[in-house]
Amino acid sequence: MATSVSIENLHVERGSFCLEVESLKIEPGETFAILGRTGSGKTVLLESIAGAFPLHGRINHGTVKVGDKNIERVPLHERGMGVVYQEHALFPHMTVGENIAYGLKMHRVPRQEIVDKVDAMTELLGISHIANRRPGIISGGEAQRCALARALVLSPEILLLDEPFSALDPTTKTLMYETMDDIHQRFGMTIVFVTHDFVEAQRLADRVGIVLDGRLRCVVEARDLLDENAPHMAEPDIRKFLGM
Amino acid sequence: MANHAAHERDLFTVMCAVVCLVSLLFIGSAVAAIVLGGFEHLGEALTSAEVLFSLRMSLVTSTISSTICLLLALPTAYTLSHTNFPGKRAAEILMELTLSLPYILLGFALLLIFSSPMGKALKAAGFAVVFQPTGIVFAQLLVNLPFAIRMARTALEDVNPRMEFVARTLGASRWEVFRTVILPLCRNSLISTFVLTWARGMGEFGATLMLVGVTRMKTETLPGSIYLSISTGNYDTAMATAIIMLVVSACTLAIANILSRPSAQSRSIR
Repeated sequence: MATSVSIENLHVERGSFCLEVESLKIEPGETFAILGRTGSGKTVLLESIAGAFPLHGRINHGTVKVGDKNIERVPLHERGMGVVYQEHALFPHMTVGENIAYGLKMHRVPRQEIVDKVDAMTELLGISHIANRRPGIISGGEAQRCALARALVLSPEILLLDEPFSALDPTTKTLMYETMDDIHQRFGMTIVFVTHDFVEAQRLADRVGIVLDGRLRCVVEARDLLDENAPHMAEPDIRKFLGM
Repeated sequence: MANHAAHERDLFTVMCAVVCLVSLLFIGSAVAAIVLGGFEHLGEALTSAEVLFSLRMSLVTSTISSTICLLLALPTAYTLSHTNFPGKRAAEILMELTLSLPYILLGFALLLIFSSPMGKALKAAGFAVVFQPTGIVFAQLLVNLPFAIRMARTALEDVNPRMEFVARTLGASRWEVFRTVILPLCRNSLISTFVLTWARGMGEFGATLMLVGVTRMKTETLPGSIYLSISTGNYDTAMATAIIMLVVSACTLAIANILSRPSAQSRSIR
């Protein structure tokens, strides 16, 4: 099941950095890319959606809605979001299988159901053979699949990915793109991912939001991203960022 | 490449090695003085009722105080590392302030507290501290708690916050994140904290002296026993007792080193 994400008047400060988003709506079932340079605020935007920072304080404020519901006061685990980081953030003291089972255990799912779901998920992502290994001895691609499986096993309505493929070699990256297509088709959730790769954004996303210097500057159809005649190309800094 | 670098000899490396040797000689001379001075009388010390009493007293009190220390340090370190509250900076300074104070002064502060009307009321209720073995535990606790909080806090802050955040998005409460992610990842560091706190407790003397004094076969810890032996001119027994302390310290440091050794994975990253 997919749902929309809406952001209004977001203002988040992290040290000397500040992120501003006036308005953004991500449609149900859409794959949305947040594109920008390193340090532009892409991850802060993604983490704001995930609920990493309180948004009702003196400094940080704004509204994040999932569907019609303001999720500011909703506990993290009830937001229906799966989060996957570039560095995977796998629990190193647990096996791959235990990592995937973690969320199910926390949701008090019966033991046999956990076993069945973990088996199904490892098979779907092609990591059954490493289910008993610890994250320290698996490859980057396998770790990424494990992190994806851990998030997907709870059937989230929204999947948030922070530069999920940037550390992978080109071959593994291509395989992961296919996996992502497969996952999106099978689960149909809304996907928001952070990237600095134009090709990746165009390959995976329906729409792309460009974040420059802490501001969401524009949202464009992925196919129009590099179109010289598209309206966003009128902005010199966006043109420069896109290498035009 | 690494081997080549390891075999390189330059002026900087040689200078460092010389300074290292001087430091080792300086520290080693103190240890050698103790071992050479007391080895002959070690057997005597090991069969002395007083020395054995003081060893037992030190072992029991430092085990109790270290356990209480860790139980207090963990939630305190979690609060300081994972939450923001008004006056946090002042609390941090207060926690570490006592680290720079002479332990004899901390013992005197405890003496004032437990000699106050409140302390006297506690004594009347059956909880005597001054000049009692319980006081040894309090003295060790006050001296070691800031140290244990600092070590525990460093361990907790080493856990990747994103790992904790992901665990929360997966349905874990803060307590479950602490129990299932933070504690297992900090296990070795926390065991090291316990071991080192215990070792410091074994060697604690200044605060204990002020609060409970050193009474033979009553409030006599190992350092207290050494102090009494020196006071009475019995240097041989003092040195022999010091060897026992050295062995205990060596064992605890060895355990702490083994436990704080980085994993093969993290070593390979370096």
